[in-house]
Formats: sequence, C-alpha cells, structure tokens
Amino acid sequence: MKIKFKIILSIIFSIMVVIMGVGLGSVNVPPSHIISVILNKIFSAPLPSDIEGTTAISIIWKLRLPRTLLAFLVGGAVAVSGSVMQSVLKNPLASSYTLGVSSGASLGAAIVIVTGFNIPFLGLFTLPVTGLIFGMVTVFAAVKFAAMMDKNLETNTIILVGMVFSLFVNAILTVIMAMARDHLAQLTYWQMGSFSLKDWSSVIILFPIVLIGIAVLQNYSKEMDIMTFGEEQAFTMGVDVHKVKWILLSLSAALTGSAIAFVGVIGFIDLIAPHVVRKIFGSNHRTVIPMSVFFGGSFMVLCDLIARTIISPSELPVGAITALIGAPFFAYVYFSRRKGL
Amino acid sequence: MLTLKNVSAGYNGIDVINNISLCVKEGENLCIIGPNGCGKTTLIKAISGIIPHTGIIKIGGTDINNMKREQVAKKIAVMSQISTIYFSYSIYETVLLGRYLHMKGRTFKEPSAKDREYTDKCLKAVGLFNIKHKQISTLSGGQLQRVYLARTLAQEPNIILLDEPTNHLDLKHQTELIDFLKDWSKYEGHSVIGVMHDLNLAIKLSDNMLVLDNGNIAAYGSTNEIISSNLLNEVYDMNVTEYMVDSLKHWESFGLCHPEPKRRIS
Repeated sequence: MKIKFKIILSIIFSIMVVIMGVGLGSVNVPPSHIISVILNKIFSAPLPSDIEGTTAISIIWKLRLPRTLLAFLVGGAVAVSGSVMQSVLKNPLASSYTLGVSSGASLGAAIVIVTGFNIPFLGLFTLPVTGLIFGMVTVFAAVKFAAMMDKNLETNTIILVGMVFSLFVNAILTVIMAMARDHLAQLTYWQMGSFSLKDWSSVIILFPIVLIGIAVLQNYSKEMDIMTFGEEQAFTMGVDVHKVKWILLSLSAALTGSAIAFVGVIGFIDLIAPHVVRKIFGSNHRTVIPMSVFFGGSFMVLCDLIARTIISPSELPVGAITALIGAPFFAYVYFSRRKGL
Repeated sequence: MLTLKNVSAGYNGIDVINNISLCVKEGENLCIIGPNGCGKTTLIKAISGIIPHTGIIKIGGTDINNMKREQVAKKIAVMSQISTIYFSYSIYETVLLGRYLHMKGRTFKEPSAKDREYTDKCLKAVGLFNIKHKQISTLSGGQLQRVYLARTLAQEPNIILLDEPTNHLDLKHQTELIDFLKDWSKYEGHSVIGVMHDLNLAIKLSDNMLVLDNGNIAAYGSTNEIISSNLLNEVYDMNVTEYMVDSLKHWESFGLCHPEPKRRIS
C-alpha cells in the first residue's frame, strides 16, 4: 500500500475517533449534530431544529469537545516526544519519562497539592505550571549532569543518569506522600492522569505549545534519521550532534512536560505509538513525527472514552486504561516485530 | 589537498598517535597499515574531527579547526563500519541521507530533484539501484557495506576515509570495492585514505602507504618502496614477504592463479 494512501487512511481514522470521542458517553450524540454544533459555534451556521435549545449543545461544546481535543493533543504530544527520545537515545524503550519528566512533574504537583501553594496570577494553573517547571528542571539537571560526567554526552550516560535522577526524585515523592497521608488519594489520582473537568482554557494553552514543538521537531527529522545510525556517523555527515541532541531532548521533554502538566502522568502512549507508526510507515521521521501525533492522539481519545464510559457514571483514571491496554499491546508490537510476524 | 603536520591525538588526555605528518594530493590513495593498537583508527578519527588533535590538519590550505563542521563534512566523508541497526530504513532513504548537507537550509530539508538524481547515480554505482526499496535490516553485511559506500559517495566529498572497509565483505566484494574506489579517485580526481588489515588489498588500492608502529610513523612512502623494504617484517614482527609468497606458491601449485577479478561493480 502506498504511503500517501496510508496517511490519508490514518487521518480519516483519527477524525472518526475524535467524532466518536465527542459523540459517545452517558448521552449519545450523532455525528451530524456534532458537526452542526461546531459549525454553529465557529461560523454561526444555523442549528438543526431538533437540537436547538437542547443540552446536547452544551454537552458537545462545553464538555466533550474540549476534553476530546485535549486528549488528542496530550496523546499526540507524548507520542511525538517518545519517538524523538527513542531515536536520539537509540533505545526503543526510551521516553521522556526515562529522563525523569514524570517524576519531576509529580514532585512539583505533590508540593502544590500538599502545601496549597498558589501563584496569584496563575490561579488554577499553578498546579500544571509547577508540574511543568519541575519536570523540565529534572530533565535539564539530568542532561547537564550527564554532560558533566561525559562531555561527549553519550547515550548510555544520559539514560543511566536519567534513571538515577528519576529514582531519586521518586524517593523524595514517596517521602512526601508518606508524610502527607491526607492528600494521598489526590496525589495518587494525579499520577494516574485524568481529563475530567477539563475545559477550553487547557486546549487553548496547550495547542500552540504542541503545534510549535512538533513543527520544530519536524524540522529536525533528517538529523534524527541520521543520528539513529550512530553519533560518530552523524558527526562526519555534518550534523552538530551535541547541539542537536540538546535541542531534541529539551523539546521532547517540554512537549511531555506541558502535556502531563495539565492532566497528570499518563504512560505507555509514548512507547506504543512510535512503534506502531514505524511498523506501518517505516522509520523515516518525516512521516513518523506527524503520524505519531495522529496515532498517539487517537489512542488517547479511545482510552479516555473507555475511562469515562466503562463504569459510568463513575470514571477510571485514564493512565490506568493506557497501562492496561498499553502493556500487552506494546509486548505484542515489540516482539512480533522482532520475530518478523 | 590534505596535509597533516605534527598531529597527535588520543583519548582521555593520553596520545595514541604522535607527531604524524603527511600529505595527500588530489587523486592519490593512501593506505594506513600497521599492527593492532598502532593508532590507525585514531588517526582516521583525528582527520575526520571525531576526536580533538594537536598539530595542524589542513584541507585545501585551511586548518580544519577554523572550518565549520559542515564545511569539513563537505570535503571529507567517512565510510563507517557496519553497526547495529536500531530502526530500519529503505536503501534509498539511507543513501539519500548522504545528501543531508545539500538539503540543509530548505524548509524541512526536503530533497531536490538533483539530490534524488545524485542518490540514484550513487546507487547505480554500487549496484543497488534495482533493490533500492529493500529495507536495510534485511541486507547481508556485504550489501550493507555497499549501502554505506553509496551514502558516503552521496555526500560528494573530495576525500573518503575508510576504516577497515572490507571487514564484512567476501573476497569478490572486497576486490569490487577496491576497484571501485580506485576508479573513483582516478576519474574524479578525489582521494581515498583507508585503514587496511589486508595487505594485498592495501597494495591494490594505494599509491602511498603510511606504516604506523606504536603511534609513530614507521615508514611513509610509495607503496612499491614500502613493500619492497624489510620494514613490514619488523613492524608486524613476522616474515610478511615469505608468508605472502608461500601463499601464492600454494595457489600456483594448483594452477589457480587469476591475475584480475572477472567482474566489477556497475
């Protein structure tokens, strides 16, 4: 099958998943109504008489659409981040989490939750902003420390230092959780991720971050392709390996950090999506980066759909669903590729 | 074209090669030989800029320390040894990566028609054009080595550095590679600098030889001068000439000596 045809099919699939994410729930809304409400809100197009004045409009516009779009953005961002990390670190199990983004962000979130600390002009965004800052600081500290230990910034050094930093920050987090038992449930819930009660403000803030981050990473797709063959080869082919590595690691961590800052830690999508994409489209990053957005985004929307409908009216944390589906699925994708099935 | 003056280099502050001076002219092929651990690969790494050096390395009269990384990469390409393939690409995609510096500056570094044409030309040169859509993870060591050669050629360098390029090749492909490189330097006016363990192939490829021993130059001169001296016996601590002649006599006793390979690349 031609790659362009596969890309078109994937985009159609993603659109269908988003429509499904918006349409399904405690109240089911047909796709035609979803499209009508979107056109009405954006272009002031007239609404069909059968939904005018109903709660379906609020459900679609105020609840489901921002939630689904946020899930798509978060899934896309962490999937792209995962594909970049795997290429730069030449390790199919690498992700931003390897460098401590999630541990750092969780620590930041824990400090905000336990202390009730609030940045005045940020208000409710104090938690995500603090999470992002802590996540990024952890990654920068890990990479900087790795650079001090090994001026060539070898991949193995980065992975090892990242793991050490991640474990250390996790240890601090465990101490905080043990000391603040009143907030244990809230802390645990944040670490499992959720799109519950998310509105347009999160989408509006995250959208430009994700768009710019992905566009810049896409511009480095050739460098990523070359670097998968080894850093010495990349260097002799004219790639400024040290600089490019810093840029890619930072951007990748920023993408994951921004995404999880809003919704909490969500694992596995950053591992699964790049593998699925490479299996379907090959390893060329020119395709892997944009297709990771579509696959990661769609997978996240489906997981969120399951999380909010499977025990309706209650909700499961979406991180639990991604892990439940993701772990066996990842094992299948990874080992079937190795066996050439 | 390439000159080295008193170049020393090594790892972790300890020099492995000391005061190496040499000059490689346009169209000249140089082979670096010597026993294991004598500093052959270190010299290649120093010339390519992978490891820092003291002394002076000049390309076309310009010190490489005063050149940007991409300027050096446009002049010198390194044909790498086969390493682990983490993510598989098609042969065409892999060779096209050699055009990286030529694509730089364009939006998303899109290849031009010229880049695609040149990639096809390189693939034809190494005999892989007809299977260009095959994944490199499915190739034999010999085919993969030819993919890397094509990628190196796609860089359009003036000098190709080779570090034991025939490692994964059978005899037929070894001779094809050496013949191809000789033709490339002869007709394009470029140079090849290669680290070789196989003395027969080194003699076949090179105009000049550099013999390293314990990081120092043991001899540097024309290939004929080097192989006709007793120096190789001293450096390798064995009777190299006798070994070669004995081997040849063995083949001759079966009447199996063929002076030239029957087929060549492209």
